[in-house]
Amino acid sequence: MRGVPWHLPGLPGRDGRETEAGRTAAGASFRVPALSREDAEAVADEVRAAALEGRGRLATARVIEAAAAAAGRVADPSDPAGREAASTLSEELGWPSALAEETLSGMGRSWTEDALHRVVERELGGTAVLDGWTDEGAILPGRRRRASGPPLLFVVHAGNVPGVAVTAAIRGLLVRSGVLSRAPGSEPGLLACFARALTAEEPALGRSLATTWWPADGGEAAWDTWVKRAGKVVVYGGEEAVRGVRGRVPGDEDLVAYGPRLGVAVALPDASAGEAASALAADVCAYEQQGCVSPRLAYAVGSDPLELGRRLAEALEEEVARLPRPQPDEATAVAIRSARAEAEFAGLAGRDVHVLGGEGLAWTVVVGGEDPLLTLGLPRLVRVHGAAGVEELGRTLGPLEGRVQTVGYAGREGLPALADLAARLGACRIAPLGEVAWPPADWLHDGRPQLLPLLRWTEWE
Amino acid sequence: MERRDRLNALAEELEERFAAWGRDPRPWPDDLFGELALRAFELQFEHVPVYREYCRRRGADPASVDGWRAVPPVPTAAFREVELTVAAPGPGDLVFRTSGTTRGGGRRGTHRVTHPDLYRAALRPPFARFVLGGSRGRAEAGRARAGGRPAGEGAGAGAEAIRDHRIGSLVTAFEEAPDSSLSFMCDDVLRTFGAPGSRQLAGESGPDAGAALAFAEGCAADGVPACLLATTLGLDAWLRELEAGGTSVELPAGSVIMDTGGAKGRDGLERDDVLRRARSALGVPPGRVVNELGMTELLSQRYGRVPGRPLLEGPPWLKTRVLDPTTLEPLPEGEAGVLCHVDLANAGSAVAVLTEDLGRMRGGALEWVGRSPGAPPRGCSLATAELLEARG
Repeated sequence: MRGVPWHLPGLPGRDGRETEAGRTAAGASFRVPALSREDAEAVADEVRAAALEGRGRLATARVIEAAAAAAGRVADPSDPAGREAASTLSEELGWPSALAEETLSGMGRSWTEDALHRVVERELGGTAVLDGWTDEGAILPGRRRRASGPPLLFVVHAGNVPGVAVTAAIRGLLVRSGVLSRAPGSEPGLLACFARALTAEEPALGRSLATTWWPADGGEAAWDTWVKRAGKVVVYGGEEAVRGVRGRVPGDEDLVAYGPRLGVAVALPDASAGEAASALAADVCAYEQQGCVSPRLAYAVGSDPLELGRRLAEALEEEVARLPRPQPDEATAVAIRSARAEAEFAGLAGRDVHVLGGEGLAWTVVVGGEDPLLTLGLPRLVRVHGAAGVEELGRTLGPLEGRVQTVGYAGREGLPALADLAARLGACRIAPLGEVAWPPADWLHDGRPQLLPLLRWTEWE
Repeated sequence: MERRDRLNALAEELEERFAAWGRDPRPWPDDLFGELALRAFELQFEHVPVYREYCRRRGADPASVDGWRAVPPVPTAAFREVELTVAAPGPGDLVFRTSGTTRGGGRRGTHRVTHPDLYRAALRPPFARFVLGGSRGRAEAGRARAGGRPAGEGAGAGAEAIRDHRIGSLVTAFEEAPDSSLSFMCDDVLRTFGAPGSRQLAGESGPDAGAALAFAEGCAADGVPACLLATTLGLDAWLRELEAGGTSVELPAGSVIMDTGGAKGRDGLERDDVLRRARSALGVPPGRVVNELGMTELLSQRYGRVPGRPLLEGPPWLKTRVLDPTTLEPLPEGEAGVLCHVDLANAGSAVAVLTEDLGRMRGGALEWVGRSPGAPPRGCSLATAELLEARG
């Protein structure tokens, strides 16, 4: 059963409130309250007050405990909250429920108490600096200091991997901010599920988090009010969305933006094509290849790209058989057909291009082609190319500098050179294939710490 | 028989049949269409090696393809990669190119037409019937039969045609845009069917608003019905100029406009709005604005007269199926899917074409829903083109 896609503490009760109607790309319709300026102010007041009250009353360790407990329930298909969350995701995205459950459980690995403590430990040396004055910790030693996020953070989601809205909210709560969230229109409900679970776990924290949605061409009252009230604005989305939000935020330092990137996969010369392909297939299929980490390009270094492509085709077929995937919508189906046809006819015309495709457009592997960087944002479509060595690969990937989120690898031969190349490209991480889709909880998201960009520091001299 | 001879024979038979329909526009029996489509398919299978291999991969050959619905359609994306022609290229060929799309990496598709006469024969009777009105069919028939002359040599050949519309084309002339099938068509019908005073109203850079206004005023002053040819976008731009200048012209009764493209959302236009403004600025009622659906990859066209999303009719040598975009299985009447055309006028290239357009059938006519917009943005992973563009 799909839950309501909003959670708005402090929203004034009012008879006959207007609602805003939305519809996800998969066709799930939903309604949220239309927020007036007064409504948006009232919600911001409540969330801010709850966050500040929480700072005095709850230790950060308790925040971690409560957030992890709530998120753990959302990620657990045997829990009623998890069932609601999986059903919500499934309906909103048009995904089979098993895929929604697997995605939630994968995301849940970075929502555990241990994982959240690791994030705080790695970036701040522990929770002490969030709870009071301390001269201990990993950074800035030698003087008493404390840190916290602004009383209000405004997080805008304009497209992301399912579950990232929850991760972003937890980051805000960890730095003891109140979080106002504009949920993604593709899956507005998951964060509201989390907010309800959090309220059950620790009511004060539940009141520190608000989430709703408004259409891209509406919600002006909420936009204006929440941008004005928030000390920092965080945005996840494509270039256009990030630009749009940047235009609304007065100072650059008040904006933390996570824009689009992509993942690339590399099979080094000593990699087993079969093993590399199996691991790559799992990374490709995770959350429908929607992540900025998701591999879209694969390179066989010093080996036959067609062999890697064939093995990848087999592995994708197995992966799709293991866990059924959603049917593409009309536009996506047409685009996949177009990509396949271009590749097939290029091959038929004598160019070195091969296309391998699953039934029902379930997956597509294109091997070769003139442009070794060409990718399309299509589900389960991977392009495979060859490269004589890591040096040649570096020349190929050069134009993507600053745009690569993850370099996935299989094999060991030439790995140090590949790691250096990843660093030169400004890739955020290099990780074994099979782990590309699921970065560790304490990873450097877009090459940045997760909590530090949200914090304000005070030193006591 | 040599392949060009066999194609010539089929093309001549088709020209005859197209002309006969022009004289007597009755539906064709399905077996006639099927028989001609299979003959075209066999020629293409035999003489277009790339297509032959494409068919073989799908287990299709002339022995197994038992009807026109089973002919493997060529995706429009293929036109970006290869030239598909039964006959060897020759100096008299027309070479049309599609506009580049982002999805196609900006590359343009090519449709080489080795039998321009077949194109002329295919475009004239439907234009006469659906744009100028059914009463023209009989007179038009002779024109289609006289289609063997290159464009521009038809002045004398059109003596038998009733030239009661003064045709003005807001579409760039073929001379200026020799790779545009639309420009070729507009030039051809202007020369074939236009009354004296018919003329080009577009220069290299697009519609010439001043010339178009003078043309409309001339038609009004002389009491000669006008037939304006335009893209919906070009028509919209001209109407805006007229409005900006506070100008309007009452075109004579019987005037008609053919607009191409421009359903809701395409080009950011609301076609009904353009139709309303055409009535107000030119006095042409919406029912006399005929929407044309054509594409570079097809040599036949469909037309519709109803505002909004018109139901599009076409000649009997063009059949359209609506298919599920994922499975390519046929969809029932009323359900939207991807359009697959079988066009006998494409006998020299690809008789069956799988488009990237979405539409649905209603009562045997086609409702064009729109060009598929390409895959919607998903998640935070984008195509590299967008990533690179965004950074640049």
